[in-house]
Amino acid sequence: MRLLQSLALACVAPVLGAGSEPMPRITTDSREYCIELAERLAKMPGPREEAVTRLVEDGVRLCDSGHPRLGVARLRRAMRAMLAGH
Amino acid sequence: MLWYATAGSLDRQTDAALRTDAIGLAQRWRESGPDAVIEAIAERLATDVDAAAIYLFVGPDRQRLAGNLDRWPPDLPEGASWGVGSVVRDSLPIDARLHAVDFSDNYRVLVGRDVAEKGRLRELLAEGMAWSAAAAVFFALMGAAVLRRAVEGRLRPAAQTAQAIAAGDLSRRVPISRREDEFDRLGESMNAMLDRIDRLMEGIRGVSDSIAHDLRTPIARARAKLEEALAGRDDPAALRAAMEEAIADLDHITRVFGALLRIAEAEAGARRAAFAPLDLSPLLAELAEFYGAVAEASGQVLETDLPETLEVVGDRDLLAQAAGNLIDNALKFTPPGGRVRLQARPAGADGAEIVVTDTGPGLSPADRARAGERFFRADASRGTPGSGLGLSLVQAVAHLHGGELTLDDAAPDGTATGLRATIRLGGAHEAR
Amino acid sequence: MRILLVEDDAEVARFVRKGLQEAGHVVEHASNGRDGLFLAASEQFDVLVLDRMLPGGVDGVRLVETLRGQGNRTPVLFLSALSAVDERVKGLKAGGDDYLVKPFAFAELLARVEALGRRPSVEAPATRLKIADLEMDLLSRTVTRAGRRLEIQPREFRLLEHLMRHAGQVVTRTMLLEKVWDYHFDPQTNVIDVHVSRLRQKVDKGFDRPLIHTVRNAGYMIRAEA
Repeated sequence: MRLLQSLALACVAPVLGAGSEPMPRITTDSREYCIELAERLAKMPGPREEAVTRLVEDGVRLCDSGHPRLGVARLRRAMRAMLAGH
Repeated sequence: MLWYATAGSLDRQTDAALRTDAIGLAQRWRESGPDAVIEAIAERLATDVDAAAIYLFVGPDRQRLAGNLDRWPPDLPEGASWGVGSVVRDSLPIDARLHAVDFSDNYRVLVGRDVAEKGRLRELLAEGMAWSAAAAVFFALMGAAVLRRAVEGRLRPAAQTAQAIAAGDLSRRVPISRREDEFDRLGESMNAMLDRIDRLMEGIRGVSDSIAHDLRTPIARARAKLEEALAGRDDPAALRAAMEEAIADLDHITRVFGALLRIAEAEAGARRAAFAPLDLSPLLAELAEFYGAVAEASGQVLETDLPETLEVVGDRDLLAQAAGNLIDNALKFTPPGGRVRLQARPAGADGAEIVVTDTGPGLSPADRARAGERFFRADASRGTPGSGLGLSLVQAVAHLHGGELTLDDAAPDGTATGLRATIRLGGAHEAR
Repeated sequence: MRILLVEDDAEVARFVRKGLQEAGHVVEHASNGRDGLFLAASEQFDVLVLDRMLPGGVDGVRLVETLRGQGNRTPVLFLSALSAVDERVKGLKAGGDDYLVKPFAFAELLARVEALGRRPSVEAPATRLKIADLEMDLLSRTVTRAGRRLEIQPREFRLLEHLMRHAGQVVTRTMLLEKVWDYHFDPQTNVIDVHVSRLRQKVDKGFDRPLIHTVRNAGYMIRAEA
């Protein structure tokens, strides 16, 4: 447990300012946000164009395979296309 | 300059976008409270294709309500509304432009943009500018070198001419390329200047030649007479006569000397300062009256044909003397009963012509060509008095007035003999 | 007349001084501009004869300018080896009354000095000139001799007027050329002689007493006695 703690600390260390409080972190490049976006899209009413569906599928797959940033970008484009469609 | 303008414009764009964003959120807050702001932020994040937007919405006790930042950045403390802070993205610190707005009830929103992309653009811009500046300097230096070589090439003839002249060869002239550019104009001015210097040198040479050859003779003659008188006779009357002759010789020398100085004065162009507008008609009419008495006394007729007025710019004294010399010459060579005609008329823009025609024997073309030379006297004139300088002076005066003296037959078809002498006066502006 | 001669060339000064004294004038001589100015300012002279170029810092032009500045109006004749027209003009502008270029005949100098010294007074301009029975009316521009009107051209009138204004004095050909015709050049031929002889035809022909006389080696003179 102590070992794990110190390991985690070592990973975070470069991110920390010189001994001060940790830097704020952007949370929208994560798999969690990917899922949040996908759910948000799913909740949206109206018909889906094929291009949008493919973007969403692509996005979710990229997030699942460890590329959350690329996946989020796809999903956002899908979201924008959906909003523009309305 | 350009760099600052461009980079500054990027910064301003970012700030404007942040301000608009914050105003939009503030409006939602006023309209519908925290929940509307939370939804607006979620929506904006969901459609942020550029993945550059940063939001954080916190409540009164600073708990996070919405946004994609896990905590309030220490770079933007309480109270500050603008700043640049470091945030972590994919475990790497990046720069972000941040703008905080306080809502009522101690709610607070942070709007930010990831400016790493813009920073890269800015670097690219700076690099591009550095390269283009380097290229500009390079081409400027190249161009300067090429231009310098070209100028040197075009100036070389002028420089060589100047060197040759400095070395003593006054006959050299700058070759003109007929390109009619600044260099040709420089060459032409140099040549004009050299011609003028040449003429002045010629004048000085002429005067010294004249002094050497033609003043020595009468001086020698006067000296011989005085010596002879001193050595030989005791007869007071003869002595007196010899001295009177010597004085007459000296007077003659003085007159020749005066004439030479006048010619030199006219040729040097020093008299142009005394140029003034004058009416040639009355001047010539007076001259005709002045010499008319002489014509009458020797049974000749001096006619005039003068316009009402004839305005020129020139030297009154010299023009009178030049015209007087021509009339005097004509009267000397015209037999009794002959005619001498004095005419004047405008010529060219603001020039004039003074023409003196006689019915004397005229001059052969060979003699005419030499008539302007100092001390030249045609064989026919050997028996008449005169210094041989009359026409030289006329020529010098004509040149001074930007014109020339021409001599030709009074009747070119050969029906009559006689000489026609024309002084052509250029306009004042042509005077060189 | 009392004449002041300012001339640095000793030989020319001696020659001029002797000639003027022989003609019955009193001559003072200074050999530099400073002495000349002192004499001219402190004593009374009828004519000043000044060399244009003088040693001692005060040249002829400066001397005349200074005198004129003090209100001294004594007539001045410049002598100069500088013949350029500009120089003559400069000398006259400075306040000189006449200008004679070296070398000159003494007769020319004498005639000019006497003409300057006996200039008609400016205050009372004459309207009539009279020599023996020759009379000139300057207003009606007519000339009569022994009561008979003479036909005289305008230029002849001016020639005769000049001679009559200097009656009893020698007037040289150059003076006539300059004063009557305003020509400052050598006309080559003796044109003046022709004009004078033409005038003589009108004035003296048919009268037993000639008035216009030729003065050998000098010029002309109009006078009553033979």
